[in-house]
Amino acid sequence: MGVSRRGFTAASAAGGFLGSMGLMRVEEALAQGVAPRRGGTLTTMLTPEPPILQIGVNNQGPTLIAASKIFQGLLQFSPTLEPMPELARSWTISPDGKVYTFALQPNVKFHDGTPMTAEDVIFSVTKFHVELAPRARAIFSLIDTATAPDPLTVVFTLKQPFEPFLLMFDVTACAIVSKAAFDGQDYRQAPAVQRPIGTGPFRFVEWQRGNFIRLERFADYWKPNQPYLDAIIFRIVPDSQSRRLAMETGQAVLAHSNDIEPFDVPALRGRPNLEVMTPGWEYFSPLAWIETNHRVAPLNDVRVRRAMSQAIDRNFITQRLWFGINKPATSPVASSTKFHDSSVALLPFDPRAAMALLDAAGLRPNAQGVRATIKHLVLPYGEVWSRLAEYLRQAMRGVGIDLQLESTDAGSWARRIGAWEYETSVNFVYQFGDPTLGVERTYVSSNIQRVTFTNTGGYSNARVDALFAEARGAADPAVRRRAFSDVQKLLVEDMAQIWLMEMSFPTIADRRLRNVITGGTGIHKCFDDVFLAS
Amino acid sequence: MDPARLPGFLLRRCIKAAIVILAIVVCNFFLIHAAPGDPASVIAGQSGAADERYLAQLRAQFGLDRPILEQLWIYVRGVLTLDLGYSHRQQMGVGALIAQRLPATLLLTGAAFVFAVVGGVTLGALAARRVGTWADTAITVIALTFYATPIFWVGLMLVLLFSVVLGWLPSFGMYTVGADYSGITAVLDTGKHLILPSLTLGLFYLAVYARLTRATMLEVADQDFVKTARAKGVPEGRILRRHILRNALLPVITLAGIQAGQLIGGSILVETVFAWPGIGRLAFEALLARDYPVLLGVFFCTSAMVVIFNLFTDLLYALVDPRVEVQG
Amino acid sequence: MRDFWRRFSRNRGAVVGLAIIIAVMLMAALAPILFPGSPWDMAAAPFLPPGEMGMLLGSDSLGRDVASGIAHGARVSLMVGAVSTIAALGIGVALGAIAGYAGGWVDDALMRFTEFFQTIPSFILAILLVAIFSPSIASIVFAIAVVSWPPVARVVRAEFLGLRSREFVQAAECLGKSRIAIMLGDILPNALSPIVVLASLMVATAILLESALSFLGLGDPNLMTWGFLIGSGRSVIRLAWWMSVFPGVAIFLTVLSLNLVGEGLSDALNPRLARGRS
Repeated sequence: MGVSRRGFTAASAAGGFLGSMGLMRVEEALAQGVAPRRGGTLTTMLTPEPPILQIGVNNQGPTLIAASKIFQGLLQFSPTLEPMPELARSWTISPDGKVYTFALQPNVKFHDGTPMTAEDVIFSVTKFHVELAPRARAIFSLIDTATAPDPLTVVFTLKQPFEPFLLMFDVTACAIVSKAAFDGQDYRQAPAVQRPIGTGPFRFVEWQRGNFIRLERFADYWKPNQPYLDAIIFRIVPDSQSRRLAMETGQAVLAHSNDIEPFDVPALRGRPNLEVMTPGWEYFSPLAWIETNHRVAPLNDVRVRRAMSQAIDRNFITQRLWFGINKPATSPVASSTKFHDSSVALLPFDPRAAMALLDAAGLRPNAQGVRATIKHLVLPYGEVWSRLAEYLRQAMRGVGIDLQLESTDAGSWARRIGAWEYETSVNFVYQFGDPTLGVERTYVSSNIQRVTFTNTGGYSNARVDALFAEARGAADPAVRRRAFSDVQKLLVEDMAQIWLMEMSFPTIADRRLRNVITGGTGIHKCFDDVFLAS
Repeated sequence: MDPARLPGFLLRRCIKAAIVILAIVVCNFFLIHAAPGDPASVIAGQSGAADERYLAQLRAQFGLDRPILEQLWIYVRGVLTLDLGYSHRQQMGVGALIAQRLPATLLLTGAAFVFAVVGGVTLGALAARRVGTWADTAITVIALTFYATPIFWVGLMLVLLFSVVLGWLPSFGMYTVGADYSGITAVLDTGKHLILPSLTLGLFYLAVYARLTRATMLEVADQDFVKTARAKGVPEGRILRRHILRNALLPVITLAGIQAGQLIGGSILVETVFAWPGIGRLAFEALLARDYPVLLGVFFCTSAMVVIFNLFTDLLYALVDPRVEVQG
Repeated sequence: MRDFWRRFSRNRGAVVGLAIIIAVMLMAALAPILFPGSPWDMAAAPFLPPGEMGMLLGSDSLGRDVASGIAHGARVSLMVGAVSTIAALGIGVALGAIAGYAGGWVDDALMRFTEFFQTIPSFILAILLVAIFSPSIASIVFAIAVVSWPPVARVVRAEFLGLRSREFVQAAECLGKSRIAIMLGDILPNALSPIVVLASLMVATAILLESALSFLGLGDPNLMTWGFLIGSGRSVIRLAWWMSVFPGVAIFLTVLSLNLVGEGLSDALNPRLARGRS
């Protein structure tokens, strides 16, 4: 929600927005000579297989992708992260930034036939996700009161202004669930967890574990004549080469996220029937960095961290390992999110300068040319990450740091990072559109916890803490922007982590498949406008 | 063996098998819990955000906050009543999870096994018959080629040839999803999907059986009863079938019994390459996610299968070869 | 000994196999001279086909020399194969011999113990062990040895069971030889030929198992091995076939020659059978 829109009723504006967006796409399509066509089954893939399809009970990547077709949030987001209507057709924010009023779409039904009302929304926000999801718990605990003046209106009153509040209403952060299906039960063990019930355009039909998940068109979907597709099938294909083959032979018409290895992307780009897209990850904006444990010498010396940063050729990583899908990082805040300061830059690739810094830090080469030995826990997320570790070892070797790789499986990795039992590793973390939501947690000293994805590195700087706190509490975006700019400068100066790259993932679709990537959450939208042209 | 002694023998062996399986369950339990990490930290690590309260909640729900011996007792008590526990990660009973996946694995390993035994014994017999000739050498080299080539490599090559170049067979999956075939069409469809994975898995074992058959046949062929038969003027083909092959098959049966469990292990890579929804993948993913009950359940299943298979081969031995005494 | 060599050299395959093994060992020993520098060095552009820019067997996804990787990898892979096989033989022969010779409850207990290791799918067990002890060359060798000894124990037990009641053993017992002396001195040499064949296959399995672990990211990331090469080349096979084909050929040749040698040894140790061959 931009400044200009705050304080007046967004209903008409947003309503118009919806209309124009919907129409525009159809018109665009018509202009190209393709009208949305009803029918057809979309076969895509899912890697790895999710354990559960109930958002909230499980929030892993593959779960979100499949379940976002079954569930919906109040809002969705444009590529520039402007909120757009979904289950909320409009919303207003009071001038003091504390009262959020959502007007809900009428005639929305859950897949079990019951109507969706304000009660369900309040239950989802204040009970369901607060109980289950740590991220929602932290934010939604700011809600002082939640009321429903009528069945289609929800009013949240916050204890204090919280500018990124709307970002929490995407389906991936707060899917609206049926109160009747969960209230009074253990949410994790309710029957609805196995047979998810949402308001989305597709309803859950069948899941043969290890094989496929089948969703079918929900006939009572609230948008008339939508969705266009009859069914969506997610095949579980564990091997990347088989997935590539599936795209080549047409056994699947859509690949996304980690489905296709970066080195296979150029070959698929060359196929005339396929389209390769990299947008659609703006809301998440994963940022990858070398996670350094500040408790361990010599990593506690800022000069060493800077030297390591200057020893790395980020262009090599993004071009040679990720084939141009990723971009070199320039700041702790991804450039695709709000509040990125483009004047901030990392020190350039310069091994000589790196060695000078190491000299200054008192790390002189021994007879073998080794200045320091540092351990590195290889991120066990697949081959390209192993290659990255091997590149980093060679790059560090070039400035006299002996990076000793340790490999682990996913279970041990999560435990060791969580228990601070590492020297360096690589990590990538979602930013969720706003530094308060996705960046702050890695750097503030109050979040130094023995849990992964907190400030496990143990970085601590009182000014950084203060600036993040200021940005969190401020209602005025200008104040926040200033605070975040200062924070970015400070973090880069301290080299709190060694940022590597802004990540994206290739979405590869058969050209007959239209409207696949339209918003800032890309593949995570509900697909009610996706169709297969004949 | 005297058929009258069979029930008693079976009973004693079954009791023994049950004790063995129980001991295996206990050992497995400690083995799995020795691996660093627990399901809660994995889930926290994969969901991208967590706090300590969330971890504590998960651990309490999974029962991981209880003393390890109490966890063991709860598990063993469950197994004794054939309750394999509950996967909190997937919110499903382990029995149901395994039941969903076991048929696929049995089909795949069964097909691969039949292919390997029939092909291996045939090739091995051929090689033994023409020992020292070029045919023997060729069979040895072919068998070793399959043996020494990594499974995932063979699989990919077969896919490239038969699916991509020739377009004859599907490259992955167990059947055509969404086609809803029934009857004979469904069987044919699954059969078509089965060819490449079972071939890939079977080739390795084919090599093992071919070599074993060749070796044992050469050994048996040199024994006195074969010489006697030959001296009596029994036709060579009959000697080969009735005397040599029959006796040479015993070690193959033993090895096959031993490999019942290994075949499932070996199928992990094949299930990965061919997206085959079997139990090997289930175990592998459970291991990575530290989903203890599922992994224990799979181990329980494979150990039960191996013990039963061993029992079966012992019986077969006793019935086929009267010289072997069956020890209770 | 000369007699043994004569019988061995009559088997042409075995001689060829021996030559290949010696060549591979030489390559491993001379790797630092043939390919100075680390095999991890990013020496050229990535994905160069064989023959270009001085890359005899091409370069990999980071521009590393595949030929150098194979030469340096031979050292670790042969070591992994040899050490884990020796360890597995040690455990398997000891337990199998005791079980087969002692019989009775000792046999029963040892076989149940063996059964335990056979009931767990070996690949999963290997991953589990490597995860428990964290991946390193030691834990990998250990895991491979642990999952490969049971067949040895079975085979040795069967051989001992068969040989225990033979005349020469009874004769030795009458002479008052100690049990250990009988087991090592009288029975074991007669049981050697299946063990040798099995061992030659186990070296191959060990190299392949290491490659599968490496493929899953559980190899020792600081050591270049054939398994690493083939594992990392596998997924890019359609982009750079040379990355997995050449290490694959190296594994294949080594395994093949080990088997040929194993067979030659078995024939040479078992003259009765060798006569049947000629």
